[in-house]
Amino acid sequence: MSNRMATSSMSCGRLAGWISAAVLLQILGLWLFVSGFFPVKPTVPGFSGPESYRMPTCEDVLVDERRDLLPDQLAKMYMDLSQIPPAFDRMILMVIDGLPAEFVLGKGGQPPEKSLMEAMPYTQFLLSERRAIAFHAKAAPPTVTMPRLKAMISGAIGGFLDVAFNFNTQAFLDDNLLDQFYQIGWNLVMFGDDTWIKLFPSLFRRYDGVNSFYVKDTVEVDFNVSRHLEVELVANDWKLMILHYLGLDHAGHIAGRHSLLMNSKLKEMDDTIRLIHTHNALNGDDDGGRTLLVVVSDHGMTERGNHGGSSFEETDSLALFADLWSESLVYASNMHNEVFQVDVAPTLALLFGVPIPKNNVGVLLIEAFNSFTDEHKLRALELNSWQLLRLLQVHLPHLLCRDLREGASSGQVVQSNEYFDNIEEKFHHLYSIAKAAHTLWKLSERDSSGRSENSTNSYNAVASYYDFLRYGSEWLSHRATDKPIKLILSGVVLLLLSSVLLFYLLLLQFKDHGTERKFGSALKNCSCVWHLDETFVSFGTFLHIFSLGASSMVEEEQYTWHFLSSTMCLILFYMTMLSFLKEQQTVSVEMKKEGKLDLHQSQITHISVAKYTARVILMKPLHTYFRIYSLLIVLICGRILRGWHQGGVNWAHLPDISKWLEQTSSSCMKAFEITSLLLVMMLSLFALSLLKSRTRYVLIASFGIVVLGFLVLLHIIENQPVNRSTSIAQIFYFNFGILVFGTFVLSPWILPLNFQEHSDSHSSALKTDGVLMGIQDSLYVVGVIYASSWCILQLLLQQPVNAIPMLLIFVQTMACIIYFSASGHHRQLVEVAAVYFLGMAGHFYLGNSNTLATIDVAGAFIGISSYSIIFPSVLMFIITFSSPILSYLSMLVCISTKDIVSLSLHERPDLSQLLNLMIAFPCLLPLVLNSAVLTTFTLILLVMRNHLFVWSVFSPKYLYVCAGTVSVYIGLYVVTVTVVYTCTVFFFRAKLLKFGKS
Amino acid sequence: MAVSEITTPKAAALHLLCSLSLLVVHWLAWNLYSWSLITHTSETLGLCLIVHGPIVIGVYSLVRRDRQHCSYWMAVARGLFGLPVGALVMSFGAIVLGAPVGIRYLKRTAYWSLLMSIFTFVPPACVFGSSRVDWHRIFAHFKPEESLDALVCLPAYGSVIGAWIGAWPMPLDWERPWQEWPICVTYGAVAGYWIGGFASSVFILIHGPVHVKED
Repeated sequence: MSNRMATSSMSCGRLAGWISAAVLLQILGLWLFVSGFFPVKPTVPGFSGPESYRMPTCEDVLVDERRDLLPDQLAKMYMDLSQIPPAFDRMILMVIDGLPAEFVLGKGGQPPEKSLMEAMPYTQFLLSERRAIAFHAKAAPPTVTMPRLKAMISGAIGGFLDVAFNFNTQAFLDDNLLDQFYQIGWNLVMFGDDTWIKLFPSLFRRYDGVNSFYVKDTVEVDFNVSRHLEVELVANDWKLMILHYLGLDHAGHIAGRHSLLMNSKLKEMDDTIRLIHTHNALNGDDDGGRTLLVVVSDHGMTERGNHGGSSFEETDSLALFADLWSESLVYASNMHNEVFQVDVAPTLALLFGVPIPKNNVGVLLIEAFNSFTDEHKLRALELNSWQLLRLLQVHLPHLLCRDLREGASSGQVVQSNEYFDNIEEKFHHLYSIAKAAHTLWKLSERDSSGRSENSTNSYNAVASYYDFLRYGSEWLSHRATDKPIKLILSGVVLLLLSSVLLFYLLLLQFKDHGTERKFGSALKNCSCVWHLDETFVSFGTFLHIFSLGASSMVEEEQYTWHFLSSTMCLILFYMTMLSFLKEQQTVSVEMKKEGKLDLHQSQITHISVAKYTARVILMKPLHTYFRIYSLLIVLICGRILRGWHQGGVNWAHLPDISKWLEQTSSSCMKAFEITSLLLVMMLSLFALSLLKSRTRYVLIASFGIVVLGFLVLLHIIENQPVNRSTSIAQIFYFNFGILVFGTFVLSPWILPLNFQEHSDSHSSALKTDGVLMGIQDSLYVVGVIYASSWCILQLLLQQPVNAIPMLLIFVQTMACIIYFSASGHHRQLVEVAAVYFLGMAGHFYLGNSNTLATIDVAGAFIGISSYSIIFPSVLMFIITFSSPILSYLSMLVCISTKDIVSLSLHERPDLSQLLNLMIAFPCLLPLVLNSAVLTTFTLILLVMRNHLFVWSVFSPKYLYVCAGTVSVYIGLYVVTVTVVYTCTVFFFRAKLLKFGKS
Repeated sequence: MAVSEITTPKAAALHLLCSLSLLVVHWLAWNLYSWSLITHTSETLGLCLIVHGPIVIGVYSLVRRDRQHCSYWMAVARGLFGLPVGALVMSFGAIVLGAPVGIRYLKRTAYWSLLMSIFTFVPPACVFGSSRVDWHRIFAHFKPEESLDALVCLPAYGSVIGAWIGAWPMPLDWERPWQEWPICVTYGAVAGYWIGGFASSVFILIHGPVHVKED
């Protein structure tokens, strides 16, 4: 035996070294891949200037001619160069956060619901009277506020990772409308969401920022904006006023799209629009000038009021233009235009006579230029085309080096020589046509021969400009996903390498434990010929990985996990039933066999082992019932949880328990919350009381749990006064920290070593036994405290609907552990994998999905009194990955209930061997399973990079996979540190005791 | 000591009969009532039960073990008893794995689990009765040891595995009518049943006819 140990088993330190090396490789690879695949928006630096009023040429030289100009002079120069008289002097940009355009414009040609129409009478009046024009402005994912604001004012589509910076807003340095306005001397004022202030820290003359982080507040946020209106509307020192209303978004977050709050909020917004529109100071008076009111929303919302993804409900944002001055019919009555959100930027730039921002990929909305002459309209289109051409030239350096002018003037398309690839040729072709049509119109205008001919010419010119602009815009927005291939490939290679390394380490462990098992299986008389459970673990993992290749399987991953984890349990159930059948027929035979074994072993071991074996035999029937019942509990809980949240994307609207519960009264919900809290507490207290050596210390730990539960109870009951519940939550966090950390540090020192009672016997094996028992007890206490306080924390943080699912997941995990502790048939591999599967399934049982919209933002601000970035993000992570982390934490309980005493029958394990025995599998297997998913999904993402759903389905899932990897690291780190610390302390204490005696 | 033999042709004929009966049901449903599994799920499943059930019970009762103590009708009765028991087990499994519960699906789930019970539980019930040793043997070892085991358990395993695999397309967003519960699961089960039947015929062909001994 000792020979085997020396040859095949890797020492604990070396194993740990290899694992950390693999993990570091993985992190490095992930970092390389992510930074390559999610570029943080490749932008063109600098600001557009006078050159944007010139035709771009092959060698565009950037000369900044504005440096020495005063703002007024600059404005005048722009006006002269653009040849378009600015239609408006002032602008009010009203951003209604989260307002779906469907609420105002209806969907698919149908007007909106009656209640919505009635909620916004003035807006509907403006639209029907054709005094305003509105569009469905399709927002690009991720539909979160900051990237959408950036898109609207710069016309550029941000990188996907902008969403990650949503909580970390920084000053916006790229070319944008606001800076352009500022440069021509406008005074800007801003009231509302302070994201604007973070984007433009020094731009606004006056501002009042409200924080978007207090999601539960729907009244104060908007009042803080509206209270400025009376004063500001009269003031005439500003040129641009931004009003950003957050209340509607908050109302959605609280109670969903059809909440009762929604109509009153819409009414409030409508009143604001009416107030602005009918205000005397703005209606074309002497010094105020013409004012344009622009009402936009940054994104829409899902049925549940969340946003972030790319469904129609989320991307359907509003863009409404209303001319405050004109009394007549200004706009066409076409109400169902579907445009892009980025189109707002060039439209506003051209309406107000500033250069279009450099990175703009939007196309101006010609309907907003209705009051312009044909000449000005075409000029605006020309300017927009020039800007796009400049941006295209950055991507296609040779685009403009062809003889554009010639092609344009002759009206013919120059046949391509082979030097140019297809796309350049296409752009060239489209632009030439547009240019030619424009020239034709100019010629006919000069002749002024026939009006009808003229209008067809202008129509043709507009249409051909649009062909070019739309094509270029789309190409550029796709181009935003350009990736540096070297970074990506090196990242993928590193990821593959680390997965292979981890897998190899697992195989090595497997070999070690395999030889180890022979003894164990002889004792426990394993009846299975080939291990169905183990086969299923690997097979199920492969199936899951392959299913990630299909976008709809990614969208509906909750089905996969439920199916896999339930099948796993059914297989365990089936195996238990088999052994049950077998046992009943062979109980007597087994008794004899065990007896024989016992005799054999008595030569090398001692009485306690005999006792142990006797216990195994006596307990066996009881254990079988335990196993059957605990598996039944796991299965039934799993099915209830599956019905709790429908989840996913395609069938999310179907009825489920959570939707039904949300309709019930809040007191009913509170009752459910309190019940599940009490049950979680009772369960954890019961689990603690199971410990054989019940010392005063365990009582104190139980008391800690009770205190935590009591604090959550207070929080649940007093949900209303915000400040008070915040302080309760803070006290809770404090107590949570003390309890968890205190248990971790103190238990190994306090719990008894268990061999004082045999102090007369000097057998060293017995001593080791005592140490092992002590370690088990200590790990058990720490594990139960970790798991139960984690659950109680979740009861505080999660939505009220998720209280019972949390309880059920806790019950499931505990039942699963009871099952495995009662059955010796399974390898540790199966045990760890089953707990991991349950954790992953639980992630989806709690209503999470692979879209960013299901992240619970409201919960992340519980107990936070001052603004910070890190703390809410941590809470959000804790809420989202509650179930996987619970499963990793409960691995501790799993480890502690394993029969390490029986494994150490032969020899006295030293610290390193013991650690190897205890945590090698629980640490390696989740790492291997997770890295399999991570690596495969990285490859899938790479293969699917041109897939239609890459930004809406695969990329959000990738973010989840990355965050899941972090959760694996954190969970396993906690487990490892706890086990290592506990074992070290116990060995140290044993040594101390030995010295003390000798 | 009565000795009966299960020869390859006999086994093949048995499986052919069972498989054909399903085809007949399909044909009958389509031509007589113009039903199909997709349009009239529960009706077709019911028809399946009516036609396939008696055939399976009748045929498997012929090859029952322990002939001296157990008459043909006794075996039939055992099969009939096994039917609802197996259906309960099957419906439990299906619901736990995520089959929808609700009044709308009640009938379909019931019919489906009865059909699955005919595929899985009824044959061993007819053949072995309640002999614990036999049940344990055929369900513990995936390798059948004798031809009677193969005859009973391979189609059963085939149909369970087929049904399990058949459930995978259900969450896909193809919006096909056959993705409804339990249509594709039934297709999977039937396919697995056929494959299992074929495999058991091949098994018997390779192992040769094995005497079914009785004591």
